[in-house]
Amino acid sequence: MAGKPGTTPTTYSPSPTTQKTRRPIFNENDVDWVRPDGRGFHQCRPAFFRTGAVNAASGSAYAEFGNTKVIVSVFGPRESKKAMMYSDIGRLNCSVSHTTFATPVRGQGSEHKDFSSMLHKSLEGAIILETFPKTTVDVFALVLESGGSDLPVVISCASLALADAGILMHDLVASVSLSCLGKNLVIDPILEEESYQDGGLLITCMPSRYEVTQLTVTGEWSTPKINEGMQLCLDACSKLAKIMRSCLKEATSTSQE
Amino acid sequence: MEEAAAAAEAVVVTPGEVLGKASQVRAGRGAYVAPHNNLVYASLTGFRRTLSPPPNSPDQRPTVEVTGHKAHGAVPEPGSVVIARVTRVTARVASADIMCVGPKSVREKFTGSIRQQDVRATEIDKVDMHLSFRPGDIIRAVVLSLGDARAYYLSTAKNELGVVSAESTAGETMVPISWTEMQCPLTGQIEQRKVAKVGG
Repeated sequence: MAGKPGTTPTTYSPSPTTQKTRRPIFNENDVDWVRPDGRGFHQCRPAFFRTGAVNAASGSAYAEFGNTKVIVSVFGPRESKKAMMYSDIGRLNCSVSHTTFATPVRGQGSEHKDFSSMLHKSLEGAIILETFPKTTVDVFALVLESGGSDLPVVISCASLALADAGILMHDLVASVSLSCLGKNLVIDPILEEESYQDGGLLITCMPSRYEVTQLTVTGEWSTPKINEGMQLCLDACSKLAKIMRSCLKEATSTSQE
Repeated sequence: MEEAAAAAEAVVVTPGEVLGKASQVRAGRGAYVAPHNNLVYASLTGFRRTLSPPPNSPDQRPTVEVTGHKAHGAVPEPGSVVIARVTRVTARVASADIMCVGPKSVREKFTGSIRQQDVRATEIDKVDMHLSFRPGDIIRAVVLSLGDARAYYLSTAKNELGVVSAESTAGETMVPISWTEMQCPLTGQIEQRKVAKVGG
């Protein structure tokens, strides 16, 4: 998918820390891992977003981060099912599924059954549910190709799709994950790095309000490592949000012409 | 195409962008005030517009609003006029599928219901539902409230609300002849409906 030549920033690597309040525990000389795609440890993959991919949906977005390709459609606000009880705030319904060809071995999506509930947790803090009482907003995410860091890409793409659908939100939601491989912290891991990781950290935040909507930590972590990882991720999230905003603005101005 | 003067102020904003301080501007449509730091943020993607306040109001802050290049589909709100198609008529309640809210059509239908006491304004206990609506009629109604889990509550208790278009048993679109009767132009048969007063 060829995009316009880049006036918009496409990579959201965090900036190197200029004020060193604490010496980082991981110095660059101590290397436990060499990244297969040649990126630096704190370098993220180039991000590509496009809204309006699905005509049938109220809003939709497509995201491509290296080999991870995700498409999200949003339907709503529409009538809740009859069986549901009355609620004076809106409801959010999320569903994440993988295509059968998403992974190298066919049909391996069963270990990601919890993605739907994690997507729900990360988005419900950002949507202003009081504005559409009694109705439901459905978010359907489809992972076309799983190349590592699937859930952060799904979350960021879902928040773009919600903005494209015109659902009132507190802020855009950006999400970045980080892996700990021995002594090194690598950001935006690919599938191989995720399979070798000692620990994983996923942060979802609303950058403009500087609020975190979801934090998931798995594996082995010590407190200084978590602190450093969180700072890296939050910085990358704010850069990613800039890319998302420029994508939305470009879509709005091209649709006006 | 935007005019040159309007294009100068038509800035695209995205959700979460700061539009101003709550002490200086008021939040209109598509914007909200964050209570913890009193800033006005946008909640939609669209063009930022500033409206000046009415001259005799005590609150002289301009209103900033975001008009969406694509607002979400229409949702029935209490007080809005809707166009619906009647699906089922029983002795006490008529069910209808809401198809348009104001001038906009909905993407997927909502369910509404008209209770016996909301059909008309006079003699509400003597209403016969089958002489007011039939399945298939197109009605104009106003949304009374969000209702219950199953349906919005609608009302046709005004002169300009009620059946706008109906088909007779012969299949022709009927012509209204009074506020309770419509006539089929093909067969001359008169059928009873609660007719909406259309026009001046």
